[in-house]
This record gives sequence, structure tokens and C-alpha cells, in this order.
Amino acid sequence: MAQRLALCRLLSRPARGSLVSHGRAFSTSAGRRNTFNVQDGSDFQDRVVNSPKPVVVDFHAQWCGPCKILGPRLEKLVSKLEGKVLMAKVDIDDHTDLAIEYEVSAVPTVLAMKNGDVVDKFVGIKDEDQLEAFLKKLIGA
Amino acid sequence: MHDVIEAAKYEKKVMVLDFVTPTPQGSSWGLGGTCVNVGCIPKKLMHQAALLGQALQDSRKFGWQFTEEVKHNWMTMTESVQNYIGSLNWGYRVALRDKKVTYENAYGEFVGPHTIKATNKKGIEKLYTAERFIIATGERPRYLGIPGDKEYCVSSDDLFSLPYCPGKTLVVGASYVALECAGFLAGLGLDVTVMVRSILLRGFDQDMANRIGEYMKEHGVNFIREFVPIKVEQVEEGTPGILKVTAKSTAGDQMIEGEYNTVLLAIGRDPCTRKIGLDKVKVNINEKTGKIPVNDEEQTNVPYIYAIGDILQDKLELTPVAIQAGRLLVQRLYAGATTKCDYVNVPTTVFTPLEYGACGYSEETAVEKFGEENIEVYHSHFWPLEWTVPSRDNNKCYAKIICNIQDNERVIGFHVLGPNAGEVTQGFATAIKCGLTKEQLDSTVGIHPVCAEVCIQNHLKAHGILG
Repeated sequence: MAQRLALCRLLSRPARGSLVSHGRAFSTSAGRRNTFNVQDGSDFQDRVVNSPKPVVVDFHAQWCGPCKILGPRLEKLVSKLEGKVLMAKVDIDDHTDLAIEYEVSAVPTVLAMKNGDVVDKFVGIKDEDQLEAFLKKLIGA
Repeated sequence: MHDVIEAAKYEKKVMVLDFVTPTPQGSSWGLGGTCVNVGCIPKKLMHQAALLGQALQDSRKFGWQFTEEVKHNWMTMTESVQNYIGSLNWGYRVALRDKKVTYENAYGEFVGPHTIKATNKKGIEKLYTAERFIIATGERPRYLGIPGDKEYCVSSDDLFSLPYCPGKTLVVGASYVALECAGFLAGLGLDVTVMVRSILLRGFDQDMANRIGEYMKEHGVNFIREFVPIKVEQVEEGTPGILKVTAKSTAGDQMIEGEYNTVLLAIGRDPCTRKIGLDKVKVNINEKTGKIPVNDEEQTNVPYIYAIGDILQDKLELTPVAIQAGRLLVQRLYAGATTKCDYVNVPTTVFTPLEYGACGYSEETAVEKFGEENIEVYHSHFWPLEWTVPSRDNNKCYAKIICNIQDNERVIGFHVLGPNAGEVTQGFATAIKCGLTKEQLDSTVGIHPVCAEVCIQNHLKAHGILG
């Protein structure tokens, strides 16, 4: 009983940033390349606005519980797409100007950006199916 | 915050300058002022953490069974509290943006008529001019002015984000800040001592203050009365380390020493009015206290400069009072309203382990103002139903109503000591505002079984004065 509980906990607790091994192989290095933390306004301009590939922007905060669940979940799905979509993470307390510019009120707020434009958006936590659909639409459209 | 949001409603161009000078220990915080960051909010949450500890103990008598020892994790609590505060800070940023209020995280000071210099964290200065100004800079904890105070002691500005459990703590002071902090720290299982120079809760009803102290003493808080620290030295570095405190008696030459992990200073707060250039615009301040005198429309001696909140002279230092004053001020300035802030019969609550709610006069002030023979005091102890099964104190909770005999036995003072005192007091405050009399109180049917019903029960017996 105790063991099973431990296993469940391992599976359901998503890793922040790095991927924890729980029996399924993910390409860690690819994941790392496709996801990055935005450093400042000009970094955002270079790697998101001017990105040749579509980018999902994850606006999150240290104090936000749901963000800690959504972030890794989104990261995992982005890495599965093997570079077709990139993911930019923006901490709204560190980059308040950026968050305000993109009218972020609540977190998590995720923007889908293509050619510098916001083409899609959602606020709050979503499950894997919903995220997959969101990403598919971004690459497809 | 609330005054700027109000002003923006009337399409005025508004700017807010908010800046927190870090504490000697390096603590700082975000937008929202004292209440949100280092006052009411974290205080009440930590008080709640302590109450939950007590509830866990009580729960066994109600049938809950658990065999593990129940311990408290300071870091878990602090992280949760700080996360909530972070969301409030962000909420204010969003609110300001939505109302198109310009926000600068910069230190503001007057440099000339209608002109302010704003200096940000990086030292960059900008000048701004405006038609009107509202000063709401609040206060910061006072230090003792003794060796080791700034180097080794913490204040409430540091406590709510302390990145380590404070351990064995000496709280210096007898303010509500001191007693509330001492109360929840003890409730979380820490060894707490309170060092008091003279009386508890100066300015509050002293009978109630002493009851609060007695309750805390009986529930494990140590009190050292009539001593003041004269020196704080570090015995061992660490988080927490070990500090040695030397204190002198106020009643003689006796000296004592004690070792603690943390020394929390809560001896009072001083207004942030000395270094904001008030002399450049000739705003009068009380040189001794730093407080700003204003008229009943919150206007300083300089017509275009107003002030609200804790920095005001002879006004209450409470968040809702500041908010109300700010809102009404703006409505008077820009919406043609005439309502002034009512500073009378403002209810308040002290969140000590045994909570204290009050509205109106203390017993001693009532006696002073109306005369002993003209007031009647009704009082009663009560035993909350929830305390019966777990066998908690049956003679500590207490309520007191003070009536003015000459004015139809008008209720002029309301005091209650017990669980949820704030919740109990809020409604009675409105009744008092409406001119509540003893007769109306008596004719109100009680809700049973709740603590608040003691306030209206007939067996509140009149007693002599200050008996």
C-alpha cells in the first residue's frame, strides 16, 4: 500500500524544468533547447517576436500554484513536437513590463505567437488533451 | 492604493510612487503597503496557523484520531503566506494598470512647490509635477537605539518572510504587534518571552489588556515586566543564531541576561515623514513624533497637499480608516461629495491568542469623559460551546458593554474577549453607529448557541465602576 502510494506520487508530481525519470523516455536535451526563460525585453524581441517558428509564451509567477502544474505539463508536450514549436517562460514579477504589455491579469496566461502576433491565448490550467489541441492549432494554422 | 483607484475613476491623471527601503536585515516587499505585506494579512494568516494547532489538539476530544506527533513547519507556512501576498501585489499592479494609473517603484520626495523627485532602485532620478499630492507613506518599526539592535534584531518587517524558523524568541514591546506576534509564535510551539517596559496595550482598555496578558501567560508565554534591553550581542552566528540580551529594570538597578535565537522588536512605529522633503514645501509636521496634523478633510497646512493613514496626528492607525479617508477625500475633490471620514466609533480587533474586539470608549476613558456616576457597565464571562468538550478555559472569555446613563443608556463602549472577536464586533459597530441603546440591545433576540449572544443576554449584570 505504501509503495503504491509512493509510485502514484512520483507519477503525478511534475518536475520543474528538468524531467524526472518515471519509466518513459523523453529526450531531455531536445526539451531543453525548445524551452527557455526570457531574460529581458530584447531577449523577448529576438527569441519570441522575431522567431521564425511559432512560440508559446507561458506567463507564470513564483507564488502561483496552478502555474507550477501547467508549466511542466506544457513543456512536456512542446518537447514532444521536436522543435516545431518553442516555449518561452516569463516570470511576471521579474518581467512586469512585458506582462503588462501583453495584458496579463491572472496567471498562468499562455499566449500562442506566430510572426510576432498573438494568435491564440488561454488563462488558467488546462489538461493535456486541451493543451495538445492548442498546440496542434498553432502549428497547423 | 484605493485613493488612486478612486481618483482614476474621475478621469484624473494619477501617479503612484511606492518604494520600500529595505530593513536593516535586508527585507523588502512589493506593492500594497504595510497591511498587505508586513501587517494585517500575514499576521492574521499566521495567527490562523496557530489557532489550527490548537484546533488539532481540541479535535481529539471530538473523536479525531491521529497517532503521529503534530509538528509545525515554519517554511511551509511562510511560503504559503508569501505566495498569497505575491498574488495580492500582482493584483494591485493589474488594478493600477486597468485604471490607467501610472506606477513608479521609486522613492518620492518634494523638491519644490508642486514638484517631486522620484528615485528608483538603480538611483535614476526623475522629476514630476502635479496639481495635488496625497502623502500616505505610512510608518516603519522603531529600533531601541542600543548596541546590536539593527545588526541582530528583527522587526515585524522581517518576521513574516523570515527564511528560517525564529526558534526561542524574545519579543520586546507590549504593543498589539508585540502581543499578536508573541501569541502566534507561542501557538506554533516556540519558546516565547515578552519583555514589557510598563503596561500592556497602551491606549486600549486596560482591564481587557490585562486579561489578554493573563491568558497568554497561562498558555505558555513568559513575561518579563518592567525591564528594557540595553544591549544585544551575538553569541553564535546562524539562521537562527544565538543572541544574548542584557536588560535593566525600570524600577531599580537590577540587570538580567538571557539567550534567545531571535529578538523581535515591536516597541512602536515611526512615520516616514522625515526624509520626503516636507521642509521644501513647508508642510508642518510634529517635530517630536513625525506625525502630520491635518484638518477634518485630511488637508495639511499646504492647501494642495493632503495626507492619509498612519502618518496622521491624532488619528487611528488602521488600514480600513486610511482606505475610507482616501476614498472620501478623492470623492470630495473630484466628485462633488461632502462626506468626511468618520473617525468616531471605529471598531478594531487585536488578534492575540484570545482575540479582543472593541468599539468605542474604554472603561477608563468613559469614566474620564462622562463621570463615574453617569456610566453603567454590563459585563459577563462566557464559555464558548466549542470549548466545553475539549475542556478549555471556562472563565476567560469576557464581554463588556459601557452605557451612557444620561443619554438613554446609549452604548458608548463595546468590548469582547473570545474566539472570532472581529466577526462578533463588526455588526455591533454598525449598531453603535446607529445609536444603539441598552434597551435596544436587550430587545434583540440572541442567536443560539454562539459567542456573540452574550453581548445581548439579560444576565449581563450591572456592576459598580471599574470594579
